[in-house]
Amino acid sequence: MPGILDYTHVVKDYTSLWSPRRVRALDDFSLSLERGEIFGFLGPNGAGKTTAIHLALGFMRPSGGSGQMLGRPFGDAKTRARVGFLAENVALYHRPARTLLRFYGTLSGMRPARLRLRCREVLEQIGLEAEADRSVEKLSRGMQQRIGLAQALISDPELLILDEPTSALDPAARAAMRELLLECNRAGKTIFLSSHLLSEIELICHRVGILSRGRLMKLGRTEDLLVSRDRYEIVARGMPAGSIDQVSSDSAPQVRGLPLAVPQVRVLPLDTNLGRDGHVQFTVAAASQREALERVWALGGEVLSVNPVRRTLEEVFLELTNHKEAHA
Amino acid sequence: MMSLVLMAANFLRQRRWPVLLLFLWILLTAAIAGDFGRSHTALDDVVFHAQQQAIYICIFSAFLAADALHTERKSRRILLVLAKAVSRGDYLLAVLGGTGMLAVVYAVLSALCSIWLATRTMLPSGPVWELLPLVVAGALISASTAVFLSTFLNPYFATACTLAIFCAPIPFHALRHPAWIWLPGFPMLAQFLQFSFRPDWSPNWMSVGTTLLEALVFWLLASAIFERRDVAVPLE
Repeated sequence: MPGILDYTHVVKDYTSLWSPRRVRALDDFSLSLERGEIFGFLGPNGAGKTTAIHLALGFMRPSGGSGQMLGRPFGDAKTRARVGFLAENVALYHRPARTLLRFYGTLSGMRPARLRLRCREVLEQIGLEAEADRSVEKLSRGMQQRIGLAQALISDPELLILDEPTSALDPAARAAMRELLLECNRAGKTIFLSSHLLSEIELICHRVGILSRGRLMKLGRTEDLLVSRDRYEIVARGMPAGSIDQVSSDSAPQVRGLPLAVPQVRVLPLDTNLGRDGHVQFTVAAASQREALERVWALGGEVLSVNPVRRTLEEVFLELTNHKEAHA
Repeated sequence: MMSLVLMAANFLRQRRWPVLLLFLWILLTAAIAGDFGRSHTALDDVVFHAQQQAIYICIFSAFLAADALHTERKSRRILLVLAKAVSRGDYLLAVLGGTGMLAVVYAVLSALCSIWLATRTMLPSGPVWELLPLVVAGALISASTAVFLSTFLNPYFATACTLAIFCAPIPFHALRHPAWIWLPGFPMLAQFLQFSFRPDWSPNWMSVGTTLLEALVFWLLASAIFERRDVAVPLE
């Protein structure tokens, strides 16, 4: 069954008439959005996120591959009446907000009576009914962004495609936007959300796709991506104090005899936990998990929990996009 | 249909200041030609005023239409419009519609000024009304040629080429060569230059029809090319 938005082996090259140089923005990109989900689309600058969005809306044509939006090929004008789009750095005509919403609503083929009603609803949703008759150029950047979202919502679309919707918003407005998106999703809308704000994505998206240099590096449910399958966190108690080694003054303490010196294994500082109620907490590589548990038992300790390590989306993102060093 | 009208009106609204200046220009030239100090106006001045205004609107339409796509792409406002249920062809038709609306208002205003001048010179006002559809057709072919060229050329080149296409047949016309009939716009230009208040002047309605047909062809060609253009690519 086709998804609500499907990319099938899409390739997009940027070429210039005057230069032989060719830049590949998307390379064999395939993705399928499921109806009713909030999909987070991540990637560093220049990864090809906006290109993928522009292809879906028909602003440009793919160099290879194909795609469908709501069951119709990319670029079909009538289909776009059922899609709401908010562009990055939204550019709006200098008109009163209400007039502008009516303009965009009419372009989506809405009838005047329904449009009047919908204008009121949407302005209320974004919390700008008091500013409805002010020209948008006199509004703050954040308010303009909200008007941009309002024009995307005006036709009550099935699919919302949002390119950096929270980039110009303050924390309070960002939280309100997040709530609004969740509300839209509860109303049955599918949301395709491209953002640099990983915490936002982590909070609201059901699935996440990470794009790097035009290739989809990772795709999966947010929960699955955040849970590491190669590192486990063990909490134990009742271990003798002598079993804890402080290798050096600036290093974290380790449980004596445990093979924790595996690269990429992060040893959590034990001193914060040990001594309070006799608990120790440490991480081990998946391969060493069994050995670690046996060691705890051999030392007379009791294992309280073994859980896969939960990473932040930022960690996953940096790991996949090779930005670890740059970030450091 | 409603969305086309709204986009056309929006196109004009975005350019309201130069359009208003243009309307003031009509009044100013009429006042100069009428010369309030005199009790009547010279026949040549009235004819020249009508011809001049007809040619000006064609040139101005080329400028407006050639710049439309470039400006909207540069400001990125085109993205939200084309993200709605609007095809590229509709978008270009709205640009031409906006230019057509401007041409109608301009032609009516300049016709009223010409009639005022004609009345002062005891001339019949009938030919002025007959000139009106020619002016609108001239503005439309000029705009559609400019829009067509602007789909693949820089707006300055597009304007220059549009004007060159209009002027290219002039030598043929002087030599009474029939080739000029087949070049867009020039049949209108030639009729503007032949315009007079004499009863033997009457418009060639066939050429008006041909001109409108050519405008349609240019719009179709422009739509076909624009359909294949990447509108989201940043402009230099």
